[in-house]
Amino acid sequence: MDGKRHAASFQQLEKLGEGTYATVFKGRNRQTGELVALKEIHLDSEEGTPSTAIREISLMKELKHENIVALHDVIHTENKLMLVFEYMDGDLKKYMDTHGERGALKPHVIKSFMYQLLRGIDFCHKNRVLHRDLKPQNLLINNKGQLKLGDFGLARAFGIPVNTFSNEVVTLWYRAPDVLLGSRTYNTSIDIWSAGCIMAEMFSGRPLFPGTTNEDQIIRIFRIMGTPTERTWPGLSQFPEYKTTWQMYSTQPLSTILPQIDPLGIDLLQRMLQLRPELRISAADALNHQWFADLIGQSGVPVQQQSSMSSQIPGQPQMMPPPYGQVPSQVGYGGY
Amino acid sequence: MVRATRNLRSVTNENDENTAATTARVTRAKAAALNVDELSMPSKPLQTKKATGAVANPARKRNVLGDVSNVTKAEVADGKKPAARTGLVSKAAQPTGIKKTTSTRSAVTTKEASKKTETKRSGPGSIVAQKRKMMKTKEPAATKEEAPEEGEPIRKKVHTSEKDENAQTDVKQEKPATKEPVVSPGPEAAAPRHRPPTPEAAKILDSEDLDDPLMVAEYANDIFEYLRDLEPKSVPNPQYMAHQDDLDWKTRGILIDWLVEVHTRFHLLPETLFLAVNIVDRFLSEKVVQLDRLQLVGITAMFIASKYEEVLSPHIANFRHIADDGFTEAEILSAERFVLATLNYDLSYPNPMNFLRRISKADNYDIESRTFGKYLMEIGLLDHRLMGYRPSHIAAAAMYLARLILDRGEWDETLAYYAGYTEEEIQPVVLLMVDYMARPVIHEAFFKKYASKKFLKASIIARQWAKKNAPLYGITNTQLTLDEIS
Repeated sequence: MDGKRHAASFQQLEKLGEGTYATVFKGRNRQTGELVALKEIHLDSEEGTPSTAIREISLMKELKHENIVALHDVIHTENKLMLVFEYMDGDLKKYMDTHGERGALKPHVIKSFMYQLLRGIDFCHKNRVLHRDLKPQNLLINNKGQLKLGDFGLARAFGIPVNTFSNEVVTLWYRAPDVLLGSRTYNTSIDIWSAGCIMAEMFSGRPLFPGTTNEDQIIRIFRIMGTPTERTWPGLSQFPEYKTTWQMYSTQPLSTILPQIDPLGIDLLQRMLQLRPELRISAADALNHQWFADLIGQSGVPVQQQSSMSSQIPGQPQMMPPPYGQVPSQVGYGGY
Repeated sequence: MVRATRNLRSVTNENDENTAATTARVTRAKAAALNVDELSMPSKPLQTKKATGAVANPARKRNVLGDVSNVTKAEVADGKKPAARTGLVSKAAQPTGIKKTTSTRSAVTTKEASKKTETKRSGPGSIVAQKRKMMKTKEPAATKEEAPEEGEPIRKKVHTSEKDENAQTDVKQEKPATKEPVVSPGPEAAAPRHRPPTPEAAKILDSEDLDDPLMVAEYANDIFEYLRDLEPKSVPNPQYMAHQDDLDWKTRGILIDWLVEVHTRFHLLPETLFLAVNIVDRFLSEKVVQLDRLQLVGITAMFIASKYEEVLSPHIANFRHIADDGFTEAEILSAERFVLATLNYDLSYPNPMNFLRRISKADNYDIESRTFGKYLMEIGLLDHRLMGYRPSHIAAAAMYLARLILDRGEWDETLAYYAGYTEEEIQPVVLLMVDYMARPVIHEAFFKKYASKKFLKASIIARQWAKKNAPLYGITNTQLTLDEIS
């Protein structure tokens, strides 16, 4: 991380994806042969280094965790900044497309992915970082079945009490209702809402709330979760986007919407998808939920994996998803 | 719960200090016109310093420290440093390589002027005049509309009250001057962080937060523990002036005071100011900087801190403009990259505002003591003697002293728990804060900011208190300014 390495230390391979302010390439360390992901940030903007890059680098240097993609190095070149990340084979979106049955994954795979996702989120929150952009494209998967949080471009550190933030965060489909209603004082619970949406999507193969506009997104959520009122959500009418004209929907049981999820799984999902942010379960509590009981062996390692994984990393919750070798190499992802 | 909500609202409002920030955004027309690739520019301000000797890489530090010809250092200690100082904004015409021997002109006059006035009386006026010469702030066109509120009327008020204060205290301060600082701070001896058991009252306070999403109650303890772990890594080297042969603490003080002014003009978050000053000091801990580049370091630090902290950061053109167009945007952008690389992009500074709010919670979110606490905490930015202390330590001392000044009762175990420091541990920092306030005002913008109604005239009231109570702390000789004893 001291800039001793040069761009020339890496052989640039195919393009993996194009982000909002960066391009990601697959790369190879010429000395070690190690595969990496190279995120190139262009600095020719008149405003200099983007704030997203400043926050991303600063935060990711702090966040060293097995469920967060590792930032190995930052390299300056003439007019760009190159972030060297550990290489991951693909993102969850592509994984669902290629391995799922019409996008839907197997329950035991989902459980492992959810556990790893929540561990990553929990670590962020303990280190006072909000990810603010969790979605399948930003969850990276490798062929060991590991899942890691990527793309901290929208992340930021928070104080307590939580400061005022922008509400232009989180891709619409995974955006929490309080943020949709215009809250600027959201907290860790916005990442939990996104995680709930992702869990449902892994089971069904389809996004849970695929809204097209802010209003449409709100209505889609209410159609399933029920339209809140000042009685069910005190303070609701104070939100900037509060409308008296909302159609009143009654709450649909998640078990009818998502019949493929077992009762314990439904219980956890229900706790993550609470409209009121203060009622949403924390990542730490979610990790202790009964649903994960059969996943965790005595050492915190998933039971299935203890017996079957050959190259196992100690303490690493792992699963045996279908081998990744069949994944086409042009798998694209915006996940870094 | 009702109380908590109300109090929280006031906390949030306080954070809205910068709601007007959007109005401060200047049009980008000029900036757009100046879309220059800074790397093609002939002068890369900070990078080229290696060649010219202005900014040496760390390997050169030893040379600088061991430089026997560095006579000025000894003279500083004697308080009669030759004024081979060039104005901070007068850099344009300076050849970078030659530093001390050139351009004594402006510096001599300022130094002489300040000496004269300082011995006569210590009102802020003279310092202002002197400071204005060294570092001019040009009013940004777009921010003018918000300047008046805190502008002239207050300045007048400040001046008069300040004179009164001096009139009162001049009588008391007749002891012979000594060169030594009354308080010897001693850098933070990496105080072992022992955590006292949670008092019952604190447990109750914490449980109140469970209903309040803004308090992130389930993660609060983890987070504060983490922040305290981070603290030692972000503390600058409090002795860095020893390797700065072109700077001294006085010039740093002028720079920080100017940054306080810039920060107020731009209506930025309190966090941004603390981060900006931390960036300046950590950078100066690593690199040797020439005087004519110091302001560039300062403005760049504020630019970076804004990008990190603010929802909407002011455009670069505003930063160029407020520095009186002393640097081009290309220079600021180039400096930005150099500063970020020097700090390894590590901006994870445990901001003292976090600790202040945490303690304020145990203080019922009393707005008055928190406002005074903020003033006292910012002394930690301007008084370099406080640089070696952890942000949490500064915050604890600030809240402790604020409550003392406002007579808010004892530092009980709940306060000590949330602050993480006992009354005894806080004393060395409190002593320095009182010492700073009992001395003549030298940081005019800082004083003025907190003399405003919005900040409850905290600087005026706290300084009056300090002058009255300084003898109780064994601080008796307060005629000399901080600059004169540094």
